Amino acid sequence: MNGTDRVSIDTADVWPEDAEDDERLVVNWFVSKGSQVEAGNSICEFQVERVDVDVPSPVAGTIDPIVLEENAAFERGDTLAYISHE
Amino acid sequence: MAVPADLDRTMTMSGAMVEVIATEMRADEEMFYMGEDVADCDGIFDSTEGLREEFGRDRIMDVPISETAYIGAAVSAAQEGMRPIAELMFVDFFGVSMDQIYNQMAKNTYMSGASVSVPMVLTAAVGGTYNDAAQHSQALYGTFAHLPGMKVVVPSTAYDAKGLMHNAIRDDDPVVYLFHKRLMGIGWLPAPDGPKTGVPEESYTIPFGSADVKREGADVTVVTLGLHVHRALEAAEDGVDVEVIDLRSLVPFDEETVLESVRKTGKLVVVDEDYRSFGVTGEVISRIVENGLGDLDSVERVAVPDVPIPYSRPMENEIVPDSDDIIDSIHNTNS
Amino acid sequence: MEGKTPGFDIGAGQIPGELHLAAGQEAAAVGVCHHLRDYDTVTAPHRLHHIAIAKGVDLNRMTAEIFGRETGLCSGKGGHMHIFDMDVGFAASEIMTEGCPPAVGAALTAKKRNEDNVAVAYIGEGALDQGAFLESLNFASVHDLPVVFVVEDNDWAISMPKDRITAPRDGSKRADGFDMTGDRVDHDDVVAVYEAAGEAVGRARDGNGPTLLEVQVHRRMCHFMGDPQTYRSKGDQTAHRKRDSIERLAEDLRAFDIGDEELEALRDRGPRSCQGGDRVGPKNNRSPSRRLLTRTCSPTHPRE
Repeated sequence: MNGTDRVSIDTADVWPEDAEDDERLVVNWFVSKGSQVEAGNSICEFQVERVDVDVPSPVAGTIDPIVLEENAAFERGDTLAYISHE
Repeated sequence: MAVPADLDRTMTMSGAMVEVIATEMRADEEMFYMGEDVADCDGIFDSTEGLREEFGRDRIMDVPISETAYIGAAVSAAQEGMRPIAELMFVDFFGVSMDQIYNQMAKNTYMSGASVSVPMVLTAAVGGTYNDAAQHSQALYGTFAHLPGMKVVVPSTAYDAKGLMHNAIRDDDPVVYLFHKRLMGIGWLPAPDGPKTGVPEESYTIPFGSADVKREGADVTVVTLGLHVHRALEAAEDGVDVEVIDLRSLVPFDEETVLESVRKTGKLVVVDEDYRSFGVTGEVISRIVENGLGDLDSVERVAVPDVPIPYSRPMENEIVPDSDDIIDSIHNTNS
Repeated sequence: MEGKTPGFDIGAGQIPGELHLAAGQEAAAVGVCHHLRDYDTVTAPHRLHHIAIAKGVDLNRMTAEIFGRETGLCSGKGGHMHIFDMDVGFAASEIMTEGCPPAVGAALTAKKRNEDNVAVAYIGEGALDQGAFLESLNFASVHDLPVVFVVEDNDWAISMPKDRITAPRDGSKRADGFDMTGDRVDHDDVVAVYEAAGEAVGRARDGNGPTLLEVQVHRRMCHFMGDPQTYRSKGDQTAHRKRDSIERLAEDLRAFDIGDEELEALRDRGPRSCQGGDRVGPKNNRSPSRRLLTRTCSPTHPRE
């Protein structure tokens, strides 16, 4: 990996504790492939039980790639995207 | 759509609006926001998302369902020198409080011989396309633009929403800031592609009265605003070389940008989500006729026929202009 | 479902738009409307279907309207928030307290014609602070009109709890300022509402003036279908769901030796009175009505 690490953005890390619903959907990406982000930046949001859940970036780095595009349905624990960082 | 190198960050329209309000509120302790369900609920259309958390209920104020009282109170607070934003949850509710809006907010500066000013923003959600029927789906752009004394702003993208909101808050006169529900980027009201754009972190203003050419073209000029900017851009993919102009503000109105485009194309299509008669389409056309008649070969207008917005989906789809209606009108200018 | 699935899209599905369901508010509808006749007028706000049912609105045609069918009460133009059934004197309108002045007008008509019609205006407690309501109270009182204002207090104006936006806590106190009778039923019980409403409707019908009646009800569901209620504690949601006036009534009836079989038969009667079927349901709702652009004016002609 040429001295960089890759971190997955895991939907389980931001899952609302009280959600019971199986339906979930990526609503908005605020960054695109190749974007530089800081730790804590809001990078996307998804919908669970009609609530939009904001996903902060766990680390600083470069988004590459986005795995789940807008409108994609997914399950808890699926990876939204990867971030490469030094 | 590739994000430019300096715009790694994209935002929804609501996100951009909220960011500006937060920035301005941090800078000015005398700013506050009043509306129904704007505190604990973050605004029904995400117009205040997260603000109560930072500023508390004293500055992000839930108010009684008394539009006359809180909009009138905002007018007076503004005259006292504070910088309030009052939110009318749906623009359709304007009837309840119109006296305070058009007889106080809009007229006090003029009536007082400019001895008072009213530096406030009135925000309101507008627009249909989700079957919310006659009392929750109107645009009413023309109604506010018709009555003198208010600046009227309608953003169509996150980038524009940010610059226009900074300008609205800093303006010393009342600004009516109408945001289209379908453009906000709400999970349960999916937006078309387009309103979500790159947004710089730093503050910037977009002056009112500066229309934006959202697409350059040589054959036909399409003038529109709000949601219909995106429908016009979709229609522009149909083969004719269309120039799409986003007015961004109705008051003041950027006549020059439209005239310049019509000088080039000779053909004008005006598209509006408001009612057809005595409204935006008629006004835009008459401005161009008054000052550019010689350049004009053909004119079309696309708007809601003069009926209230019906509930049922096929009925609403029929009367709210879509990209096919715009394409038809573009073709009509050539026939 | 259209649009994004499996996410929730308010403009998709067979019943789009902001659908406000009224589970938990049945007692206020039945307890009052049971005293009314077809020719009495009822105006209702956005959360209206329980009141429509209690007033005797045509259920098949209301259902068709909810699905946006041309066979609906309003030809699909009004939708689930704007139900009109003039055969039973019912009209609904979704902006706060819009129905109060019209109810006063119906009462004024009855008084001028010396008829014994009564008008009832329903509002929610969130609307207690709205001008049209307060102006209507005064007009009704000063003209001694046969109108009853019913405030359904479900504690919540969307996300705003009553005690944070309205003073005083007891909405029926508004009546004091207008020199009219005010009453509050503070438990969600159809029999208690029936008794209080009997007084109020009787007062109006006898020509003894208006009443403001507030009734405690419960919002067992979200504000509109799709509202995630992030502003409302789970405890409050559970408490409201537990207080079901229909179950309370069933308990009362059991105390009078009415058995489960009979109760089930009563419960079944409601759904069966709506036939469903092709003229009512969502099918064939594909093309705009022929009447889409007509009937913005009434079909009658000016008087000669």
